[in-house]
Amino acid sequence: MAEDDAIFDPSLKKKKKKKKTAFDIEAALAEGGNDAQDAAPEPDTAKEDEQDDANVDIDLDFTKKKKKKKKPFTAEDLDAVAGEGKDEGNEGGNQDEGALDDNFDLEVDFSKTKKKKKKKNLGDLIAEADEKHEDKENVDENSAVWMTSDRDYTYDELLKRAFEIMRDKNPDMAAGKKQKFVMRPPQVVRIGTKKSSFANFTEICKMLHRQPKHLLDFLLAELGTSGSVDGNSQLIIKGRFQQKQIENVLRRYIKEYVTCHTCRSPDTILQKDTRLFFLQCETCGSRCSVASIKSGFQAVTSKRAAIRAKTA
Amino acid sequence: MSIQNLNTFDPFADASKGADDDVQDGLVHIRIQQRNGRKTLTTVQGLSSDYDLKKIVRACKKEFACNGTVIEHPEYGEVLQLQGDQRENICQWLTKAGLAKPDQLKVHGF
Repeated sequence: MAEDDAIFDPSLKKKKKKKKTAFDIEAALAEGGNDAQDAAPEPDTAKEDEQDDANVDIDLDFTKKKKKKKKPFTAEDLDAVAGEGKDEGNEGGNQDEGALDDNFDLEVDFSKTKKKKKKKNLGDLIAEADEKHEDKENVDENSAVWMTSDRDYTYDELLKRAFEIMRDKNPDMAAGKKQKFVMRPPQVVRIGTKKSSFANFTEICKMLHRQPKHLLDFLLAELGTSGSVDGNSQLIIKGRFQQKQIENVLRRYIKEYVTCHTCRSPDTILQKDTRLFFLQCETCGSRCSVASIKSGFQAVTSKRAAIRAKTA
Repeated sequence: MSIQNLNTFDPFADASKGADDDVQDGLVHIRIQQRNGRKTLTTVQGLSSDYDLKKIVRACKKEFACNGTVIEHPEYGEVLQLQGDQRENICQWLTKAGLAKPDQLKVHGF
């Protein structure tokens, strides 16, 4: 199992993350949210993965390496080490159990095994470990257990606790639960054969807290057409467009001009400063410039004769 | 997720990257335009002028079975123009031929 871990390369994990290309705008945010979320139970996941041979995506190779170094530890060593820092001792303990029995469940809470070790022999321990197999998943249960006991807390437990408290105190934080950024889908209807109407254009602008003009510029530049806002505050675009297509463009707009590039929060302000647009995040306070909207090359699609007649 | 501070950072990464002769610099914009009916047009703007666009368009025409042309634009330089929605095709082709890296391609449109 150690070998399996060794061949694992970090790129694997990355790919997995990128796979989250869900449909909604929230997907963009979700990525960010997940990033932050992963940070919390990090040491935990590392352990879990190690235990599962097939599941090779491990995100924390730093601890992994550290552990591997500790592999040659034996039970005798462990006792010697026990006097050392809590964190270190625990890691060593876990590792050496793994060495003794490959099937041993590494998932088990460090401290738990450690404490038991003092009283029980290893055989009991393994049985115990199997029992505990599934309870690792829910953090709450774990934390409840250790709170009542009088033993020393491990680093992992304390870390977990800190993150839990953080999440409880400010539930809307990025590190907490996945934020939802719900958007109403754009209502696109065909007008005649050549034009499309984006009926809730202004509504969406309001939801995104963006100037209608800015979104209009972007839409028209991306779609390579012309269009305007009519009296009923709906956008009329030249060309046939389906809702899905507009949605795609809208998603790109949100990714570039609405969500914060650092924390992915949608709570941002777009300011114009010396001809450049800057995105100021209200959540994390970051400020970065965003690409200006350029329509680029436009090929001639209408009748050349008609253009000539117009200009001449 | 690894801890960023502990990663080894190669200070000469940029320098060594620049060493390999990378002709294409800047983004390649791939756009789509609607024509009459359900016809479309794909434009490729920003390819390096060191490339022979005529040769590229010749290869593309053959590969995608479409017509195409090179248009000289005063502001944007030479622009490839292909008939139909060739956005996927051109992206794959450019990367396969090694003319541009995937991160240099920017696809616009719906």
